[in-house]
Amino acid sequence: MSLLIFLLLEDTAYSWVRMLIALFASLSIGLFTGIALARSKVLNRLLTPLIDILQTLPILAFFPFAIYLFVFYLPGSIGVNAAVIFLIITSMLWNMIFGVYQAVISLPEEYIELARISGLGLYQRLKKIFIPAALPRLSEQMSLSWAIGLFYLVTSEIFSVGTKDYTVKHGIGVEFVRAASTGSATLYIYSIAIFILFVIATRLLFFENFDRFAHRFYIKDYKKRKIERFTFNSPKKMPKLSVNLNRKARKAIMYGVYAAVAIFLIYVVYKITLIINFSILNEILQYETYSLLSLAASFLRIWGAFVAILAVSIPVSVYVIFLSEKTKRYMLIFQVVASIPATILLPAIAYIVYGDSEFLAFIIYFLSGLWYVIFSIVATTKYLPPSIMEVKRVFHLNGAVAWKKIYLKAVAPGVITGAVTGIAAEWNASIVAEYFSAGSNKVITSVNVGIGKALNLALANNNLLLMGILLTNMVAMIVLINYFVWRRLYNRVNAVYS
Amino acid sequence: MQFILDIMAFLKVENVFFTYPKSNVAVLDDISFNSNEFEFLSIIGPSGCGKSTLLRIIAGLIKSTSGKVVLDNHEITGPSRNISFVFQDFALLPWLSNLENVKIGLASKNMPDYEREKIALDMLNKLELTGFEDAYPNLLSGGMKQRVGLARALVSNPELLLMDEPFSSLDELTANSLRYAVIEVLKDRKTLPKSVVMVSHNIEEAVEMSDRIVVLSSKPTSVKKIIKVDIKRPRDKGSRSFRNKVNEIYSIFAS
Repeated sequence: MSLLIFLLLEDTAYSWVRMLIALFASLSIGLFTGIALARSKVLNRLLTPLIDILQTLPILAFFPFAIYLFVFYLPGSIGVNAAVIFLIITSMLWNMIFGVYQAVISLPEEYIELARISGLGLYQRLKKIFIPAALPRLSEQMSLSWAIGLFYLVTSEIFSVGTKDYTVKHGIGVEFVRAASTGSATLYIYSIAIFILFVIATRLLFFENFDRFAHRFYIKDYKKRKIERFTFNSPKKMPKLSVNLNRKARKAIMYGVYAAVAIFLIYVVYKITLIINFSILNEILQYETYSLLSLAASFLRIWGAFVAILAVSIPVSVYVIFLSEKTKRYMLIFQVVASIPATILLPAIAYIVYGDSEFLAFIIYFLSGLWYVIFSIVATTKYLPPSIMEVKRVFHLNGAVAWKKIYLKAVAPGVITGAVTGIAAEWNASIVAEYFSAGSNKVITSVNVGIGKALNLALANNNLLLMGILLTNMVAMIVLINYFVWRRLYNRVNAVYS
Repeated sequence: MQFILDIMAFLKVENVFFTYPKSNVAVLDDISFNSNEFEFLSIIGPSGCGKSTLLRIIAGLIKSTSGKVVLDNHEITGPSRNISFVFQDFALLPWLSNLENVKIGLASKNMPDYEREKIALDMLNKLELTGFEDAYPNLLSGGMKQRVGLARALVSNPELLLMDEPFSSLDELTANSLRYAVIEVLKDRKTLPKSVVMVSHNIEEAVEMSDRIVVLSSKPTSVKKIIKVDIKRPRDKGSRSFRNKVNEIYSIFAS
């Protein structure tokens, strides 16, 4: 028994080393990118659209591809580990950049004037002003990033064990899979217990202390700014070609640009058709059909789960934010629970719903997206005037009226931003939710058709072409939905709320 | 004589104590005063002395540690339909149009929606907000936001209107014109609140608007003095009697 515990501790230590490397890498990248974005208009214009797309993509779905790429260049376990760490960084980074950016952009102008008057150089400005000013928000975002990173860590470890050739040898995810494949409840329970122990210990020993340290730098009079994410920078703020052009001329130029892009694309497609072998074209067509089918199936599951998430997260958040008096205590519990990745429950859920792969996928999707929506609602309602609940009491808004006039409206912006990140998290989970095998031929769950399953099979057969087509389709769909659905909703809501 | 007046008073605040339950810090220490019908009463005191807490106790939003508040012979135990409130930070719901915000004041009244709308539009008109019915609060200036806040508080014809530093988040010029607007609206004493209680930290404002002023001490807060302001309206801030009254209150704080 003590040997088992020792092994588990060793495995978890391996996982935590991956996490810490990723955390410090994203910390330094996030700090400098965030400051640069806030201080340099040029960088802001160049990088914002890129981050805009990257942060809403389900990057975990790229994991099969990343593994393939990293192992191709870095042989053996180094490659797999590098792939895992890379993936964790991509999950942590955006929040941190966003936090630093928010802190620096809302820094009162006096501080920058002070720097100018005192003649501080770049290094001094960073050391004396920007980095300290960024720390409080960075610390907030860091613990969020950590929770997201744990999800990526465990999911990518679990996934990697499921592949034949790309297994990480040590890691807590390895033990979950071993428990699932041998059906050992003891191993599973011990693994979960030790994992949760590590989660809580890290929070208490590291994040709480860091938070206290960072909070010393909290500046009370941050400028009141709209809380907006990169994703939804409203089009108004995009650089205009020329202010003096009248509308007709601008429209003409826009159509001209569209036409040029279209002609260029047609030309590229034409060139490609000349190069490629036409028998491949037939194959591509088949793959495309297959990936559209898979995408449609996963879409239904993921949006079905999202409806369930809304049905749970809205009442829960309203209760915790507005009705309960123990908001802080609930939030602490939520934070701990949320940092337990839904995917580690997979073996247990698989055991409970034995054989029902659809139901299993639904539960994993539900748990993967739930916390994003709840935390996003909490974050956006934090800035409401505190007297709103007094308004409710003074004017006797009760029951349905209170829901209609206060609660549902108050949570709307949070629901929209949470939907984008929550649904992205669901797509992330797809690579283990829809298909999961422990070892080479022990398939634990497998839906009939779905993007997660297709990605798994593509990696198993080293079918890079199929993988590419699957990912392209998925990315295109997510970007389109973000643009046509969420962005529009957000702009409409944001115009009224802030 | 005073005895009879006290018994007949419209609003009675009787021996109110308040101590923060968590930190056990005493805030209000035996506060008593009355307000009669058709009286504008101000409560002034140093910042942090618990003026707003006292007003919220009168509103029934906070429970006092001991003592009671009686309005028209009924003890206040929670928010009442007869009491309305104007907030320092306006507290408009940002997601509702100005008209919808004013209709909030009628939410507890049992009437068809078109009637609510009609009354609310009337009220907006009275406060010179015609044309802004469908705009959202965050597009308005501070002064106009507080006009919406006032409209929301007055639209239900409350018996008691409570105002928590209603002009203190506004710049002086805006505050001045809004004070004037409030005085104008309150002139019509047949329909509008029978009694108004305003919390303020601005002595001139209190002298300009009130019939009586309750002066509070700093923590633990008690009533230092209640001062009658019997200057004829409309009051001229430059007049000798006005300056004398202001100086009288200043000297109470200094003592």
